[in-house]
Amino acid sequence: MIVIISDDSRGDWGRLLEEALLPTGRQLVRFAADNLDINPCTGCSSCSGKTYGRCVMQDDMQQVVQKIAGCQALVLLSPVVFGGVSHHIKKVMDRVALLGDPRYRMKDGELVKGMRVVPGMRYYMIGVGDKLSEAEQKAFLSLHAENRKIMDVQGQAFILDSRFDKSALEQVAKEISHE
Amino acid sequence: MNETEIMLLYASPRRKGTSAMLLERVRAVTGGEVVFVPQKGSLDDLVLTMQKVETIVISGPCYINTYPARLIELLETAAQVGGFSGQKLYGIINGGMPYIHTHQHGLANLRFFAEQNELTWMGGFVLGGGAMLDGQPLEKHMSHRKVVPAFDQFIQHIAKGAPSPDSLYEQAQPAPGKLVTRIFAHLLTFMVVKKLRKHGYDPDAPIC
Repeated sequence: MIVIISDDSRGDWGRLLEEALLPTGRQLVRFAADNLDINPCTGCSSCSGKTYGRCVMQDDMQQVVQKIAGCQALVLLSPVVFGGVSHHIKKVMDRVALLGDPRYRMKDGELVKGMRVVPGMRYYMIGVGDKLSEAEQKAFLSLHAENRKIMDVQGQAFILDSRFDKSALEQVAKEISHE
Repeated sequence: MNETEIMLLYASPRRKGTSAMLLERVRAVTGGEVVFVPQKGSLDDLVLTMQKVETIVISGPCYINTYPARLIELLETAAQVGGFSGQKLYGIINGGMPYIHTHQHGLANLRFFAEQNELTWMGGFVLGGGAMLDGQPLEKHMSHRKVVPAFDQFIQHIAKGAPSPDSLYEQAQPAPGKLVTRIFAHLLTFMVVKKLRKHGYDPDAPIC
């Protein structure tokens, strides 16, 4: 299963990616984060303590987390906002912290945490922007790299121009489905 | 500085924690009003208030390698409203991991926001190992001998309206060596597992 979570407030990107992934025959689940009722994380730490693995806030994130926990690939699709993701996508990212393994281990000389997800789950980010500077593109890619490091997962990040054509998205879909 | 000159913007959903402690440490020198980013509702009024001051200092926690979503929403709202005119912007971000690179993206967010919206990016301070403080004074930080003077120097930059270089926090917090890291991994895991078992959980249990 591939889970796609997109911020479609600036374009119907999530649906276009889903269409591009359809020929792969993989099960696809898509959420439009800008249309979901998701409260921002309050940092209460209940999910790593009193209610381990469960968020105390009851909103649309409950169904999203269930799908992410069982997927082979997670794809976040966002406009590039100040070198990062939009607040719609960031809300999802913050709340997915409950899938983080609370234990620490060492990898490549640093502390990492890992995720309590399907082993080998891959994590992708697609950023869409209009004439992004090299610095902003680098920052977006770096954010994804840092996410992967601390989560100890594999994956890739992609940057697309906002006027991307179908073939650009198909190329990304090919990369995602072949890994 | 008087209150019309500086706004100290608190970007954490938790009222008392390391982000608050750091901002209060700034306020003790610069004065100014601490303003909380509301976790619900419109942010338009807050944006208009930000435009009335000369200097903005944002302090917040690191969630998943950058600031929390609500602060990102504030920056997006501010960009839509527009109307900034050279306000100086400083940022403080703190997180649990003892590595600068883990939390540094938050300052990059602020820098791009400033550059794209007519503010002046003045620099920031990244504090690793901050979550362990949980609001206790900075003097309790594991690297307090270097971190305290470095952060106090950062505050002086704010007070003087001067840029603050990344090297200030980078040099104060070298990454721990492998042996220390291994000890940390075991110690922190022991504490975490103890807490989970106290609540009746098995850390290896599958997600329900």
